[in-house]
Amino acid sequence: MPGSGSGNPNMASGESIRLRERGLPEVQLSEHLMRIRDRLVEQFDGLEVLGFRGELTLICAPEQVPDILVFCRDDDELSCEMLSDLSGVHWPGGRRQEVAEETTGWPHYESEDEPGRVELDYMLRSLRHNHVFRLRTFLPDAAPRIASVAGIYRSADVMEREAYDFLGVDFEGHPDLRRILMPDEWEGHPHRKDYPLGGVEVQYKGATVPPPDQRSY
Amino acid sequence: MGLESRLPDGILLTSVEKIINWGRAGSLFPLTFGLACCAIEMMSTGGPHYDISRFGMEVFRGSPRQSDLMIVAGRVSQKMAPVLRNLYDQMPEPKWVISMGVCASSGGMFNNYAIVQGVDHIVPVDMYVPGCPPRPEMLMDGIVKLHAKIKQTQFRERPRKGESMEDFRRRTGWPGPEDEELKGWAATQPTRKSGETHVAAGTGAGRFGGLRQAEHGEQH
Amino acid sequence: MSEADERVAPDRPARDGDDPVSAEQSKEERASAVASGSLIAPHTFTVGSQEWENLPDAVEDDLMVINMGPQHPSTHGVLRMVLTLDGETVVDNKPVIGYLHTGIEKNLEYRPWVLGVTFVTRMDYLSPFFNELGYCLAVEKLLGVTDEIPERASALRVILTELNRISSHLVWLATGGLELGSTSAMIYGFRERETVLDIFEYVTGLRMNHAFIRPGGLALDVPPEFNERIAHVISEMRARIDEFEDLLTGNPVWVERNKGVAILTAEQCLDLGVTGPVLRAAGIAHDLRKSAPYSNIEQYDFDVVVAETADAFGRYQIRIQEMRESLRIVEQAVAKLPSGPVMVADRKIAWPAQLALGPDGLGNSPEYISKIMGQSMEALIHHFKLVTQGFSVPEGQVYCAVESPRGELGYQVTSNGTNKPYRVRVRDPSFIHIGALPDLTAGLLVPDVIAGVASMDPVMGGVDR
Repeated sequence: MPGSGSGNPNMASGESIRLRERGLPEVQLSEHLMRIRDRLVEQFDGLEVLGFRGELTLICAPEQVPDILVFCRDDDELSCEMLSDLSGVHWPGGRRQEVAEETTGWPHYESEDEPGRVELDYMLRSLRHNHVFRLRTFLPDAAPRIASVAGIYRSADVMEREAYDFLGVDFEGHPDLRRILMPDEWEGHPHRKDYPLGGVEVQYKGATVPPPDQRSY
Repeated sequence: MGLESRLPDGILLTSVEKIINWGRAGSLFPLTFGLACCAIEMMSTGGPHYDISRFGMEVFRGSPRQSDLMIVAGRVSQKMAPVLRNLYDQMPEPKWVISMGVCASSGGMFNNYAIVQGVDHIVPVDMYVPGCPPRPEMLMDGIVKLHAKIKQTQFRERPRKGESMEDFRRRTGWPGPEDEELKGWAATQPTRKSGETHVAAGTGAGRFGGLRQAEHGEQH
Repeated sequence: MSEADERVAPDRPARDGDDPVSAEQSKEERASAVASGSLIAPHTFTVGSQEWENLPDAVEDDLMVINMGPQHPSTHGVLRMVLTLDGETVVDNKPVIGYLHTGIEKNLEYRPWVLGVTFVTRMDYLSPFFNELGYCLAVEKLLGVTDEIPERASALRVILTELNRISSHLVWLATGGLELGSTSAMIYGFRERETVLDIFEYVTGLRMNHAFIRPGGLALDVPPEFNERIAHVISEMRARIDEFEDLLTGNPVWVERNKGVAILTAEQCLDLGVTGPVLRAAGIAHDLRKSAPYSNIEQYDFDVVVAETADAFGRYQIRIQEMRESLRIVEQAVAKLPSGPVMVADRKIAWPAQLALGPDGLGNSPEYISKIMGQSMEALIHHFKLVTQGFSVPEGQVYCAVESPRGELGYQVTSNGTNKPYRVRVRDPSFIHIGALPDLTAGLLVPDVIAGVASMDPVMGGVDR
């Protein structure tokens, strides 16, 4: 995973990233986090574990999320009193390409075909044991639906509304799922990658500057 | 405006103009319309260090009905735009608008779906104060320049209460041949279509010689 | 339709789904029905100018829905609350936000990593350094250079952020005091704040929205007279904070309006995700500076301020004391300030230019300009590539949280290996606290709602981003 995504061998910063990745030791998960990981993996099957920069991420199926959250909240060893964050990332399907000035040839990034999905990340924090880890799940882009956890952690109420507003995720069982930051009658979900930035052209000293998402640099 | 609509026909008033303008400029009451970071600088301007009270303006009115200056301090989002226009309409004449900061003047650094690219799409602006955020001294410079402009205002004939534009034009001959500039501008304005939210303000705007079209981009 | 309706709006036709006002249903039952959502404000009375005198009879046992904001002198910015009132007691409170939504998170995806700092700094505009610090810590974590950040940079970051905490709490005191009627608090607060802003201007060139903390360190080093000025600020602030306490803490009006008002118990706080002074007022000593220290802050000696009362007065006391603790931290940090660079040594990440504060603001220093223009072509190319294209960050996602004056400010940053962020999601504490407002204001009187919202200290820039 690290170091990929840079096709141009002349790109100095990509090279240095690759060099550094080879030289740096992986930041290991702490013992505490490893115990959490073991506890959850033995309790639920089908969990994928990811350790990156000292952070623990568990990847599960969307159907498992409410059960895992209830377990994390009520279990003594995990004791996650607080849902710190519920965020989402949109990974659209298809081949992604980012090309800058054709003449200079930099930057030029490509990635392979993948089915589109919406990633949801739940950050679970325990004050008693002082740990925080991430529960990640992927929803299919065509029908991003998941059970709401607002009944488990009430902080999820506003965060799920925000995920619905900006990514189009449908939380089933949410008491009041409507747009929170955009106007009520807004169409579209702005943080999705297929939603344009929506800027205007700017006239400046006789020339026009295109909006940021249409610039070639 | 209050007094202009009651003027008898065709009388030039110079000394009265001067006194009334001096009175209006001497104690503008701003409306508390702080939105974002510029609001904090506006509050600092009202604070003791950069005292705005020396201009008689420290009473920030909460109600638009009691204020005559709207300082749009901060970025105006799409959701806030109708509220802004509502508040502007609720202010009684004479009223002025200062667009404080680059976000209010032109959308600032936020050239995207969520921010109105310049509050002059919604309300007519009399003074633009750039900066991100403008220092209190810059805001005061803008205010002082606004005072100077207010003091230069000539009492133009205004439509009387209940009078239609047709009757007003017939009575006063406005816009006359000397208002070519104004006439030309009015002719270029798009007619309002239903459903449009951002339309440059029409008649009654720009006490100071007509509304200049914003120099940036197209109108939404 | 009941008699009452006939009098007030005689020509209103009966609507389907109209619940008749029945005398048997008590006020409490109706109130709980509205709160649970099964009964929605049963009647809408359209009242013209002559009908106001009839209104009290019609609504005396009814709930009234009124709207507070978004433009309101006492809500903390563009917050709109739709209050369902029974008399003057709040039965339900639905906050409506989004009036300041700026699309910052989406804008970040179209700018190189370094330029993200300028966007991120304008979210929670009262604590710009915290926004920048959180973002830069996350980017540095992704880059894997957290251990390579020079100690001087970390120490200066701590100094700047703790001073920012003081200035943010001062604005809270000023505006909170103003909303509760104390104009003196407003005047004193902003006067104090100017002292801190003077330091910020001296170091960064700007009073607000500095874009000074950059991935890899700081934009430039502090100017020569920094230590003397900080010592002056610290001594002045100590005296002034005591003055503030004298003005407000013993003041019977202040105490009456804040004691016992807007209680949010510890269980409610944890369930609702509330952090910061509000959580500490409920008795839980949770401070990210102690539990997950960042930027070498663990070497400084300070206390986590906790209160047991869980009301607005407790939060006020905590914030006053937090200002004192921040001064302690700044004092220690300045005393121990190590020498050295303020930018990471890796030339592929560090901002290439030696920036300098010139007469027209922050920009490249003239010596550097002469070097790249006159002497070294490689330096010019390197500078050009780094400034226009920026560095690339390895793929992955990290979560980095700092303790902002309002609570846990977290950044969930996702990179896909390019020179622009793929997604930056900001967990702003004020956003979560708005979700806690219905619980906070349940059963309060309308003036207490104002005191309660003020004590939560939401900053709408952070709420709406």
